[in-house]
Formats: sequence, C-alpha cells, structure tokens
Amino acid sequence: MVRRARGPPSRILYGVIELQHLTKRYGGTLAVDDLSFKVEPGHVTGFLGPNGAGKSTTMRLILGLDAPTSGRALVNGRAYTSLRRPMREVGALLDASAVHGGRSAYNHLLSLALTNDIGAARVAEVLAQVGLAGVARKRVGGFSLGMKQRLGIASALLGDPGVLMFDEPVNGLDPDGVRWIRDLMRSLAAEGRTVLLSSHLMSEMALTAERILIVGRGRLIAEATVAELTSRYPSLEDAYMALTAGSVQYGAAR
Amino acid sequence: MSVLTSEWLKIRSIRSTSLIIGLSLSAVLLGFGLAVMAAGMYDSAPVDRRPSARISDLEEVVVIVPQLCMGILGTLAMTSEYVTGLIRTSLTIVPRRWPLLGAKAAVVVAAALVIGPTVVFGTYFLSRWVLGDRFSGAYTVAFLDRLPVLATVSLTVPVFALLGLGLGALLRSTPAAISITVGLVYVIPIIIGNIPEPWSERLGSLMIAALPRQITGDGNANSVYGSLLPPVAAAAVLVAYAALPLLVAAWLLRRRDV
Repeated sequence: MVRRARGPPSRILYGVIELQHLTKRYGGTLAVDDLSFKVEPGHVTGFLGPNGAGKSTTMRLILGLDAPTSGRALVNGRAYTSLRRPMREVGALLDASAVHGGRSAYNHLLSLALTNDIGAARVAEVLAQVGLAGVARKRVGGFSLGMKQRLGIASALLGDPGVLMFDEPVNGLDPDGVRWIRDLMRSLAAEGRTVLLSSHLMSEMALTAERILIVGRGRLIAEATVAELTSRYPSLEDAYMALTAGSVQYGAAR
Repeated sequence: MSVLTSEWLKIRSIRSTSLIIGLSLSAVLLGFGLAVMAAGMYDSAPVDRRPSARISDLEEVVVIVPQLCMGILGTLAMTSEYVTGLIRTSLTIVPRRWPLLGAKAAVVVAAALVIGPTVVFGTYFLSRWVLGDRFSGAYTVAFLDRLPVLATVSLTVPVFALLGLGLGALLRSTPAAISITVGLVYVIPIIIGNIPEPWSERLGSLMIAALPRQITGDGNANSVYGSLLPPVAAAAVLVAYAALPLLVAAWLLRRRDV
C-alpha cells in the first residue's frame, strides 16, 4: 500500500538510478570498473554476481558512503549526497545486522525517521507492514536474522521512497519470509517504484526480478530481461553460471 | 534540529547510558564517604596534631569519575555505531554527515553540563556539611570565594565528553579512544611528574586537571601540575582539548569512506 503525503501529491514516485562510468579503486584493487547502467521504475531489477564482484561496493557508491575514484552515480538525476531528506527518495537495506542490539525495534526506527522529519505514526505503519508490530518494544539484540531483515526492510520503507535498494534481503528468512519478500518486492515495483535487489538465490531471483544485471570483477557482464536469459539458457542459474564463468574469484574449480 | 532529536532518542534508548550516568553521580557518594572518613580521622587524632592536618578539596578529587564516565559516553556515542555497522545507515540518511557529529556533541555536552556541576557542587556542599571547621577551616571559606574554581572544575566534565566523542570519531575504535582519555587523566600526569624541570612544570601546566586553577588564577600548589599559564591561555587550552579532536574528526568524517 502506498502512503501518500497529506494534501496534493507533491512527490513523483518515478525514480531512476543511473551509473556513469562508475569506478572505485581501493589501494591496488579495482572494486568497481567503469560501470554504467540504468535502473528503471516499474519492475524489480536483479543485481547478480559472484562474491567480491562489486555489488555491495556499487550500492555504497550510489548511497554516497564511499566516494567514487571516477565516474558518478545519480539518483533521480542528482548525486545522492546532495539530497536533503534522502529517506523520502531512496530507501536502502545494506546489512540487516547493522543495528544496536540494545535498542528496541520501535526506537531504532524512530531514531532513523526523526532525522528526515518522519513521524512516529509512520514508524508504527511500517512495523505493521513488515509484521513486527508485536515485537516493536523488544530489544533488537534478541531478534533472529529473519526478523532483522524485516526490520531493515521497514527502515528502507520509512520515507515511502520511489527508489529502493536491497542487498541480500532474503538471507536468513524462512520459506514464508522468502515468499513475503518476493511479493513485497513485486508489489513495490508494481506501484511504480524502482527496485534494485541483489541476491545469490537464482531460483528466487527468477521469480522476483524482471530485468537482470550481472557483474563480475567490478565490470558489467550482462544486462537482459529474465525472459531473454531463460530463452537462451535452460534456467537463470545456468545463464548466470555460463556468464560469470570467467569472473569467479573465490570458488572451487568447476 | 531533526538530527538532534534523533540523537537524543538514540542516547536515551540504550541501557549503557543510564549505567554511565549512575556511575557518574555515584561520585557524590564517594566524596561523601571520603569526607566522613576524613572527619573521623581528624576527630581521633591527638589535639596537638590537628592544626597540621590537611585535606584535598574533595570535589576536585572525585570529579575524575564523571570526567572519565562522560568521556566514555562521548566515545560510545560514536564508536557504538561503528562497532554495530549502524554508522552506514546513519550517514546514508544524513548525507552531509557533520550534522550527525554536531548533534552527538550537543547531546553529550548537555548530559555533561548537568552531571558535572551536580557532582562538583554536590560533593562540595556535602563535604562542607560533614567537615565543618575541621582541617583548619578548609571548608569554611566563603562559598562565593570558592565558586570560580567549582564552576571551572565542573566545566572540565563537558570538555571530557567532547574529547571522548572527538577521539571516538577520529579513531573509530572504543578501546583506542578510551585508552587515550584514561591516559590523559592518569598516565601522562604521572610521567610528567617524573621528568626533570623545567619540563615537568611546563608540561604539567598543560594537563586538563591543571587548567581550572590556572583559569581562576588560584594556581596549583602542592600538586604535580604546573601554574605557568595566564588565565586566558589556560582557558584556550581547555577549549582546545574539547574542540581540536572534534574538528579534525568532522573534517575526516566528510572525507573518509564508511
């Protein structure tokens, strides 16, 4: 369900993430290498690649946490760091376990919300939306990884943003939770939002995403729809294996 | 403003804060206990030896407790976010970054501005009540004459809060920041007390604990600390302890990857 601001709709849900020759070097390693792509609204875009391919770094660069060595990442045509109330434009979940265990779920979310002038009512709303209303006053330290994933998704949804990024949100979720995420991602996209989703679960990605970006060693390997990939290969997993064969840095011989 | 209310909620909503504040305030009990002990020792001493009995200003002894506690509170305000990884979220939603550090500074200073005077003045009045005119009337000096020292000593507590925060933001490590804070209070003064003059007095004048009595012009007789600084210079050094690490941290916060 989309929550609209009071009064006339002042915000457009339509959002775009655009990378232009984005490059990030840490010392001698090139983590992201001349990456250019565009993530468009209206469908879930899957972000795939082997461990160490640069997916998380790319997301950190988009969010302005790391500064690019060259190139740039734009959100709705602007650098992320120029946004004044970024939660209202971009919601992100990078690491669900990155919470202070001593704080309650409610206080955690409220402390985030306050920075962007979002009120307590919206906190209660997202807690109900992710199914954590019953444990809102419990300390986060006692949460399972699955509950933390839900909490992280709740924090991304706080500002009702048009652009959403999730790094491995399915980790630690039970089958019920996996299906819930799938439905949530698809409904967020159906509302006209831009959803960038990274995951290693190919079968899940095939069910959730419509477009796929595959990166390896920091470079873009493939950009296609799921339908295109599954028509050329037996499955999305086979497509992924074939396309990333030359880019796996950490793995057994295959 | 919105970041300020967020930081206020953050610091209120974790248990360690009330623990640290409780420990800070317990310094008043420590001061009270020391005063009672001193009074007992004085009363049981032979009458002819009483005139030579001396006592330290207890509020200046126990202030070390809130100093360290508020230093730790300041450090944890920043480093707990680095330890948990929450800092990534915090800086994502406040992309200008420095308001986050500014809000944390305001919150820990506000806490320290309540705790510092409470401990210093609380200990002073309790000691005055317990000791009466013992120790050659050490605690019978008019309150208004003692007020400048009491007020300046109280102000060292928020200085420690900012120092702890600045070091925490700079080093991004709880043990490193707390070690340096403790080192400045305990270790370095001991080293300075044992190096040859004139350096012992020169460096001893720059220690945090040496500054309040240089600011008020009372001087640091009978201590390892020197009294070489004029009041304005001593005040500037005290401000520098609070501001320098914080300013460097703010500058780095804008430039470093998270």
